[in-house]
Amino acid sequence: MKRELVFILSLIALTSICDTINQLFLKSAINSLVSPRGNVKAVLKFIIRLILIPRVWISFLFSVISLCIWLFVLSQVDLSFAFSADSMHYIFIAITSRFILKEKVCLKRWIGIVLIVVGIMVVSLS
Amino acid sequence: MSKKKFTFKLLFFLVFTDFMETFTHLCFKKSALIDNEVVITRFSEVFVFLQSVFSSPFLWLGLLSVLGTFIIWSTLLSKIDLSVAVPVCSFSYILIPLASIVFLHEKVSLFRWSGVLFILLGVVFVSLSASEKERALE
Repeated sequence: MKRELVFILSLIALTSICDTINQLFLKSAINSLVSPRGNVKAVLKFIIRLILIPRVWISFLFSVISLCIWLFVLSQVDLSFAFSADSMHYIFIAITSRFILKEKVCLKRWIGIVLIVVGIMVVSLS
Repeated sequence: MSKKKFTFKLLFFLVFTDFMETFTHLCFKKSALIDNEVVITRFSEVFVFLQSVFSSPFLWLGLLSVLGTFIIWSTLLSKIDLSVAVPVCSFSYILIPLASIVFLHEKVSLFRWSGVLFILLGVVFVSLSASEKERALE
């Protein structure tokens, strides 16, 4: 029972990591473009230019991998558990945006992350 | 920019995306339930599993719902701040266990609910710090 839990939690961690990589590539691709202003035409043009960036394809690939692992996780455990545990992507995203995108992560955000970690532990023990 | 205006209509759409997200994950769970006993010992069996899941109509309904959520969500984000949108959307951390109880007959203990509460608080804290950053940018 315990070993199974560890296995499922690490799979959930893996989908979260895939999600994080997906978001990082997407964000860095979007950062390299000038954000659109106003009308629908400008937004459409922005999206087309975005799709042409290879980093966006990598991002898409990782979201597909993440979906496949997620589906397997759902076939094994309760949805209420899996969805709560999936909130660990907040943690990975905060850490990676701090070190890879060089964003500033303030104290309030670290408090939030600690609360999420506690929440995941409580949900996993139940 | 009058980005701060928070109307009832915007709130309605935000809560609507919560329901959409719940619907998405219910569909995913339904599609994964086809094979009651999934035991994967060899790598090739991964593909057998994925084949059965991807042939389920629920999965495609879920993916359609993801697309819809994404479109509404990105439109909303051009009108309100992320720090306002995220706490309202973390409402789905409550909605999903509720939906699991009603539609999937899962049991959610009081202990698990308390864990969900911690996660919810954490998400609110994480997005509160985003509002500070936005203020600094102005």
